[in-house]
Amino acid sequence: MESGKKRKKKKYYDYSLLFLILFLSCFGLVMIYSTSSYNAAKYYGDAMKYLKRQALFLVMGIPIMLFVSKINYHFYIKKFPLFRVKPINILYFLCLVLQAVVLFSGSEAGGSQRWIEIGDIRFQPSEVTKICVVLFCSFMVQAAPRRLDNVKGFLRVGFYTLPLIGLVVVENFSTALIICAIMFVICFVASRKKGYFIIFGILAAVAGGILIFGVSYRSDRIDAWLNVETHPKGFQTLQSLYAIASGGLFGKGLGQSMQKLGFIPEAHNDMIFSIICEELGLFGAISVIMLFILLLWRIFSIAISAQDLFGSLIATGVFTQIAVQVLINIAVVTNTIPNTGIPLPFISYGGTSLLVLLAEMGIVLGVSNQIEYER
Amino acid sequence: MTKHKSIHRKTLFFIVLMIIAAILGLIVRLMYLMIFHSEQYAKRAKDLHERERSIKAERGMIYDRTGLVIADNKPVCTISVIHNQIKDKELVISSLSEILQLSEETVRKRVEKYSSIERIKSNVDKETADQIRNLGLDGVMVDEDYKRYYPYDDLASRVLGFTGSDNQGIIGLEVEYDSYLSGINGKILTLATAHGIEIDNAAENRVEPIPGNSLYTSLDVTMQMYAEQAAKKVMEKKQAQRVSIILMNPQNGEIYAMVNVPEFNLNSPYEFNEVLREKYDNITLTSEEKNTILNTMWRNPCISDTYEPGSTFKVVTAAAALEEKVVSLTDRFFCPGYKKVEDRNIRCHKAGGHGSESFVDGIKNSCNPVFMEVGARVGAERMYDYYKTFGLREKTGVDLPGEANSIMHKLENVEAVELATMSFGQSFQITPLQLLRTASAIINGGTLVTPHFGVEIKNAEGTTIKTLTYETKSQAVSKETSETMKMLLEAVVADGSGKKAYLPGFRIGGKTATSEKLPRRSGKYISSFLGFAPAQDPKVIALLMIDEPVGIYYGGTVAAPVVAEVLENVLPYLGIEPAYSEQEILTYEIGSFEIPDFIGKSKREAEEIISAYYFDEIYYIGEGDTVMEQFPLSGEMVNKNSDLILYLE
Repeated sequence: MESGKKRKKKKYYDYSLLFLILFLSCFGLVMIYSTSSYNAAKYYGDAMKYLKRQALFLVMGIPIMLFVSKINYHFYIKKFPLFRVKPINILYFLCLVLQAVVLFSGSEAGGSQRWIEIGDIRFQPSEVTKICVVLFCSFMVQAAPRRLDNVKGFLRVGFYTLPLIGLVVVENFSTALIICAIMFVICFVASRKKGYFIIFGILAAVAGGILIFGVSYRSDRIDAWLNVETHPKGFQTLQSLYAIASGGLFGKGLGQSMQKLGFIPEAHNDMIFSIICEELGLFGAISVIMLFILLLWRIFSIAISAQDLFGSLIATGVFTQIAVQVLINIAVVTNTIPNTGIPLPFISYGGTSLLVLLAEMGIVLGVSNQIEYER
Repeated sequence: MTKHKSIHRKTLFFIVLMIIAAILGLIVRLMYLMIFHSEQYAKRAKDLHERERSIKAERGMIYDRTGLVIADNKPVCTISVIHNQIKDKELVISSLSEILQLSEETVRKRVEKYSSIERIKSNVDKETADQIRNLGLDGVMVDEDYKRYYPYDDLASRVLGFTGSDNQGIIGLEVEYDSYLSGINGKILTLATAHGIEIDNAAENRVEPIPGNSLYTSLDVTMQMYAEQAAKKVMEKKQAQRVSIILMNPQNGEIYAMVNVPEFNLNSPYEFNEVLREKYDNITLTSEEKNTILNTMWRNPCISDTYEPGSTFKVVTAAAALEEKVVSLTDRFFCPGYKKVEDRNIRCHKAGGHGSESFVDGIKNSCNPVFMEVGARVGAERMYDYYKTFGLREKTGVDLPGEANSIMHKLENVEAVELATMSFGQSFQITPLQLLRTASAIINGGTLVTPHFGVEIKNAEGTTIKTLTYETKSQAVSKETSETMKMLLEAVVADGSGKKAYLPGFRIGGKTATSEKLPRRSGKYISSFLGFAPAQDPKVIALLMIDEPVGIYYGGTVAAPVVAEVLENVLPYLGIEPAYSEQEILTYEIGSFEIPDFIGKSKREAEEIISAYYFDEIYYIGEGDTVMEQFPLSGEMVNKNSDLILYLE
């Protein structure tokens, strides 16, 4: 590119994406207050407890996102001048260590060890692992995109990602699934030969099936999913269905949910979408889904207009992550698939989760910021 | 690079499409749930959220025939706790146990029980409840409620019956008319959280309770009291186990009074009455034993127990024989003191026998051999036909639960001996009410009525909902026989075995009986008297039974005067004025006189004056010799045999 033209080119910044992120996060705050105030008041004597915490993380997260968005994303794969290591590699090993730590000394929640506790803050390393996988896969692929034209190239990416997936899958099947999806889509998009992906798709399905039916607590979930009305473990999902269905077309009105009053335990977490349905009705639910489609559409636009393959792949990875999370979350609350704990991005309660997600969006915004266009 | 990019753009677009397709699928799923299943799931969710609290309906009242309330309701409260709403547990436990006088342990158990609502105590009176309400304890609920209240305590206890904790009838009229009296409970539907806490501002769905309908009965408090007093008196005097009196209108079957002393207090039906308290004082009973005793206490022997009616049953035999025309009033009989039936000598109650007598004398004397003879003339088969038309083979149909039926030999087993004993009221059993019903038919011109209490059902506003009607069967006996029987029974009282029931100024008919209780030779008797008045047009029929009197047990001696005593009060109450014959005025000193002036007279002078008048008792009050005041005052008209009070100084 000639330097003469550079002067006329302007750096792009995707303000609509930024707006969507802020809008969804703020909407999330409203819904968290609505869903959590009863339980917060009951158990902690402070109806705003969850709202305050989430708002704090949002306030912390926004500057971080904006800061990250100003970093040229090529920085992640450039060696530090002093240590001669790439930040992406540091992140990769950091994730491995954290995942290992959480496996052996993490605190339990809902039968699985997923959390690291530092003081008051509970933190799920798998959230960071997702970013790591997005960046790491994109890095691997952009380094030699032609390799992906045959199976070996794909397997090579898989080989490096495997340790991360392996550590996650033990305790958190759904996150592992998301990570696989990210890797798979990044490779699929970059590859010019698509045939072998079909075979891998089938293989992954078989492996997934074995995992699902092999591990007892997951197999229980399948039973609960099929017999949601009668199975004791189907209780939560059944309550979610009651909430969704009793919303009707226009809902009961904001704050009027009955199901959040203890019938759905921790309604501000993964089941928050069912309360959205109950309070805002089918129209409210579709509006929220539309917002996510818009968000995904913006990320898609960034992916296709990114300055280079790396940026494009990062956007694709993030796109995949958010899309899969939204799909799984809504599918779970509507009992379309067996129950698995995936939060709804930006809306479900979870401070560190939101923080990491905002940082991730910062990276995508950073990709958009590198796009140059002529005035 | 450019080429590469275009491939991946298409691929990415393909993925976007896939994801949008999946999202659309989920939207369809949402629509399916939120439109087509909305109602079904919403209803189920509502069931989950709604808590139902019932509001008790006020039970209908029971009135006597003059409109007095004999079964009422009084407001009481139910105290309950809601586990989740309790803030200061210890305070709740201590104050509730103190105010309600329950052991701390009991209250603690209920307070600590994890349930949506737990009842601590029901039927708490209003004052106590207000005391609790004023404490303003969180999680303690005071609900208004009604409790059955019987203003006359033990009046007609075994007839009226009482209600249980859910206001349901347990015995008596309360059971029989439960469906009318109970009303329909209302309910309050409130929304509650998963922890059972009601949501304050949620719209309450309230279904108002419908109060029960009221029952108007033929029972008469005044007559019941007259009868009860007389019954109590004779029970004490004769140290009897039990005394029952039934007063009925023989024309239509309305029962005015049904006394079974000892009665029990309807306001505390699970406590022993006085007699039982004395008997079981210091004896520890198992709950089973106590239940058996209570059941006996509640039992209404007038309808639930059968007995051998004895001589009162001769009324039936006589009516059958007259109807069958196998005997005329002038027929002559001879009683040697027994009658030989087949190979057995069946004795008359008079050891030496009544000798030669007419049929009328036979009834007056209550002579067994006469009735054995008459019964034999009718024959077993015809006699059983009469039992049937007289309603003795069926229940009377009285509107009370637990009625018993008669126990009789099978017709094919009735030989001469059985027929003979049945003719004077032995070797079979009927209930007192069955006898009363049959006797009514015989004296009312032949109409077999259904004895009953219930007259009318009115709703809470006082509108008549249902006028109760009862079956009657006419021509159980002919008018002619009925007239003859009334005449015969009046003769029994006028100068026969029932003469102690004679009441000057009234025409009373009746028949005495002394039945030996089974097993024979046990020395236990039931003395009874069946009486009615006025004899020419019966307005009231009475049956009195004294169970196991001590000492003299002849019905004519023991039971007849009691019926006279009851009728003496009841007949004027029913508006039947005495009409004295000249002879009666002379014999019984009927009439009135003017009180002379005693004031200023000395005691001796007063005594002289008194002897010329018809005073009964004279009371002197005060020390002294001069009369200062008198009661009644001089110049007043009083009945003969009145008392006089003189104040001396």
